[in-house]
Amino acid sequence: MSTLAAAPNMRVRSTGAGLFDHRRRALLVARLRLLLLMLGFVVLALCALGRITWLGAAKPGPRVQTMATLLLPDRGEITDRNGLPLAREFPAYALWFNPQAMADGGEPLVRSPAQVADELRKIFPDLDDSEVAEMLASGKAGYIRRRILPEDANKVQSIGELALEITRETDRHYPQGSLAAHVLGYVAADGHGRVGMEAVLDKRLLDPAKRGEPVALSIDARVQGALEDELERGMLSVNAVGAAGIVLDVDTGEVLALASKPEFDPNQIRTSDVVLPKERTDAGEMPAVFNRLTNQVYELGSTFKPLTVAVAIDTGVITNLGRRWQANKPIKVGRYSIGDSHEIGETLNVPETLIHSSNIVSAQIAGEIGGPRLHNYFGQLGMNEAPYIELPARGAPLGMDGRWDKTKALYAGFGHGIAVTPLHLASAYAAMVNGGIWRPATLNRIEPGHAPRGRRVFKASTSARMNQLLRLIALYGTGKNADAPGFRVGGKTGSAEKPGVSGYRRTTLVSTFAAAFPMDRPRYVVIAMLDEPKGTRASSFQRTAAWNAAPIVKRLVSRVGPQLGVLPDASRDIDLSDVRSLVGE
Amino acid sequence: MTAPARYRRFGWLAALSVCIVLYVMLHLKVNAVHSEVVQAEREIVRLERANMMLETEFLTRSNQVQLARLNRINFGFRAPDAGQFIDGERQLAQFSKPRAVDAPTPIRLAGLTSTDGVPAFPKLVSPLTGEPLDAALIEGAPPSDSDVSRNRATPVGLGGGGGQVRVPLVSLGGDLGQ
Repeated sequence: MSTLAAAPNMRVRSTGAGLFDHRRRALLVARLRLLLLMLGFVVLALCALGRITWLGAAKPGPRVQTMATLLLPDRGEITDRNGLPLAREFPAYALWFNPQAMADGGEPLVRSPAQVADELRKIFPDLDDSEVAEMLASGKAGYIRRRILPEDANKVQSIGELALEITRETDRHYPQGSLAAHVLGYVAADGHGRVGMEAVLDKRLLDPAKRGEPVALSIDARVQGALEDELERGMLSVNAVGAAGIVLDVDTGEVLALASKPEFDPNQIRTSDVVLPKERTDAGEMPAVFNRLTNQVYELGSTFKPLTVAVAIDTGVITNLGRRWQANKPIKVGRYSIGDSHEIGETLNVPETLIHSSNIVSAQIAGEIGGPRLHNYFGQLGMNEAPYIELPARGAPLGMDGRWDKTKALYAGFGHGIAVTPLHLASAYAAMVNGGIWRPATLNRIEPGHAPRGRRVFKASTSARMNQLLRLIALYGTGKNADAPGFRVGGKTGSAEKPGVSGYRRTTLVSTFAAAFPMDRPRYVVIAMLDEPKGTRASSFQRTAAWNAAPIVKRLVSRVGPQLGVLPDASRDIDLSDVRSLVGE
Repeated sequence: MTAPARYRRFGWLAALSVCIVLYVMLHLKVNAVHSEVVQAEREIVRLERANMMLETEFLTRSNQVQLARLNRINFGFRAPDAGQFIDGERQLAQFSKPRAVDAPTPIRLAGLTSTDGVPAFPKLVSPLTGEPLDAALIEGAPPSDSDVSRNRATPVGLGGGGGQVRVPLVSLGGDLGQ
């Protein structure tokens, strides 16, 4: 058209055919354009279809987290035997400084670092505001506070600084604080357990297939609380450097409570809880994570005398409890002599020996048993190896190596020359009172009827006789202060001098009381031990176990007996009619 | 195409359309329910976490060490002694006192023995055979007026022949716990 308009005077050769061609061409062009447009649409549709297909079939969808996955803890829960949580994963808030939060390349904070630090100090009064202001001004990312409460998190949000981020983290939390710290241990920064059952059960607690189910320990939190409370009280009242205690089920070997003092808080582990400077360890001090009950070996002294008597009865060395032994002449052993702290009497029978805790008679009995037999029995009671318990910290006994001669037996008969952990003693006492079966101690809860078979060490008749003798000690002997009325407690004191560089140190003792209750049908063994107690007003200025460890057991049994199903009954007791007459008035 | 064939064709098309519409509706419904389930699951997770936070806080505040200190220092509690334990209902009944002549009739809690986990009173058994005694033998003849007046002096809790009477422990005299 423009051609025609531009050249009106041009000659038109063939008007009809030209117009036809022109129309046809225009039509073709239009069709071509339409085709191109349609092709464009087809390509677009194919692209859309392809995109839809890719979205539907190939593109990975958003990570779907089921409810079960979301509720699965990162690390399994540990509970006591009644299901009370002792360690669990806990969602915690942290206050993190992120200088990149504004993402505009400018200043990370709206206000000055000093102002923000001042605002933070109003929320956290113990915060060092100058240190925080310095950190905020430096522009380096980092934690301002590692753990904050939810209400404090809200207050921090209201400051209105984007760079102050509240990050949500999971934390290992021990709701009971320092309770059972030596049993549980703690989780280090690498996410793995240390020291206690956290270390033992590490794989199980982190296993995705199993961590949803809590692990139940044999510990009873109520009993554990009472044991720790009484040990702490006893330890402070006599200025002891440490203490340890255990409550053990004699029929299953389950540990219902296990404590070592001083304790630590697994929620707030400090370096000094784990490692001490060399000068302090050289002075004999141990870090708080050190477990005195399973890891430290002691000469536990007179608490071994009932074991010696049990061996003597079991082997037939003692067939008559009324047999009298000389008790006023020290026994010469080479350069040394074995004597008593005071003269108890000219002669003593077996019950009197235990009641008055005579070293002289115990040594004579051990001498008659003989070294090899006594060594064999002590070995059967598990004293020739580290104690059986799941905890990684276990102390190997001292003095059990080699063949025992008579001299060795004389000393071992009253608990000297052999050093074991208090846990060894607890397991041995359990075997002595439960009918004669030794079973390994365990921190795992045992379902009723699934107790290990154990191994027989004493005859049932020996065990029954020992129950009578232990009760006699608590009624008439050194264990009087442990006799909780109605609970039929039986037990033996032990106060042994600690060995030093040049022999035994007379000024430092280890006081132990090993007990069982109720003696008419023993169910629990209780051990309370104090390391280096002093004579104070609370202990009537005495340092021996009768005055410091025995009262701990008395108070403890009164508290935990009813919780463990042993109700006090003043009208019930073990039958002592055949041995009572041997004690005299 | 014949008329019936055309109708049939329309019929198929209509049926197909209805099916498609129903399918789309069902699909939308399924998606809606799925979305609700996801929402509910999120809510459950949130509540479970909140629950755990509260439980943990409660456990932390009521930990054994704290309770022991509170009991001993703030409240002065000590462990109960042997005399403070009751061995069965018979010993509990010993705490009861004879009712005064003009005392009001004790409130009888019907059905308390069979609900709320309250154990039934032990049945009286024959000392010779060990079998439960005949109820008629225990209860005897229906009480007369004179029996009722006599029963008013019987101890509460031992049963006066007219049904069981349970007395709340708090109403008993004596120091039962520390």
